[in-house]
Amino acid sequence: MTTPDCGPNCEEALKQIESFLDGELDVSVHEQIQVHLSDCNPCMQRAEFRRHVQVVIRSKCTGDDVPPQLEHRIRALLGEPPAVS
Amino acid sequence: MAQTAAAEDPALRERFERDVLPLLPNLYGAALRMTRNPADAEDVVQDTYLRAYRGFATFKEGTNLKAWLYRILTNSYINTYRKKQREPQTVEGPDDLDEWYLYDRLGGRNVELSAETEVLDRMPDEAVKRALESLPENFRMPVLLADVEGFSYQEIADIMGTPIGTVMSRLHRGRKALQKALWDTAKERGLVDDDDA
Repeated sequence: MTTPDCGPNCEEALKQIESFLDGELDVSVHEQIQVHLSDCNPCMQRAEFRRHVQVVIRSKCTGDDVPPQLEHRIRALLGEPPAVS
Repeated sequence: MAQTAAAEDPALRERFERDVLPLLPNLYGAALRMTRNPADAEDVVQDTYLRAYRGFATFKEGTNLKAWLYRILTNSYINTYRKKQREPQTVEGPDDLDEWYLYDRLGGRNVELSAETEVLDRMPDEAVKRALESLPENFRMPVLLADVEGFSYQEIADIMGTPIGTVMSRLHRGRKALQKALWDTAKERGLVDDDDA
């Protein structure tokens, strides 16, 4: 793994970057990582990159058009006539 | 069709229509990523709505409706579709992949962040969907539930019926595999130079 060479805390911070970005760390640990990132540009850049990858995945893996026949079948399941589209 | 609890209770039915029907695009999209096939996705979603409608009386209002529905969706996918497909369960993962696979290849340290992310931004939606769908199921599911649907680790553990540690490990490995899949896709589409392959 290519790690930035900006200090002894980098390895620890990057090890937890995934949980950090997922908002899954305890508040105190989260704040420690936040402090490190604000002081360490290489780590911040990696964190921002990861965050961006997640944003791209979320925005590009949604928006599939629901087939009208599926919606009709599900509405029929509820015992109501299908909506006119 | 057998009478359902929701069908017999107009208030329940109304709540189902109000709260559950609007989630159809989300559930269908997730089913597409799971089954990788529109016809199978339709079957899984229809089965999910049938089960949800029948069981809606047992859903506690005010608790996590989206997670409840995704659990039904996941079970429906596993019970109906996977049995049919007999897709082997992949337990081995892309362990040998670099943690920063994509970052290092897209430029890494010496370029502006915008140059790295621009490649991803230019990637067509279809290409990103195919990259996600290329992951083995065990890794695709947690990535789908976390990165596309925004569920927490605990919610994913509840949806998939797996321990939270397993979720974290598969999510981590799945994301690494997705980085490689995105890179491969970018190469195939000529969005990046092939020098680093």
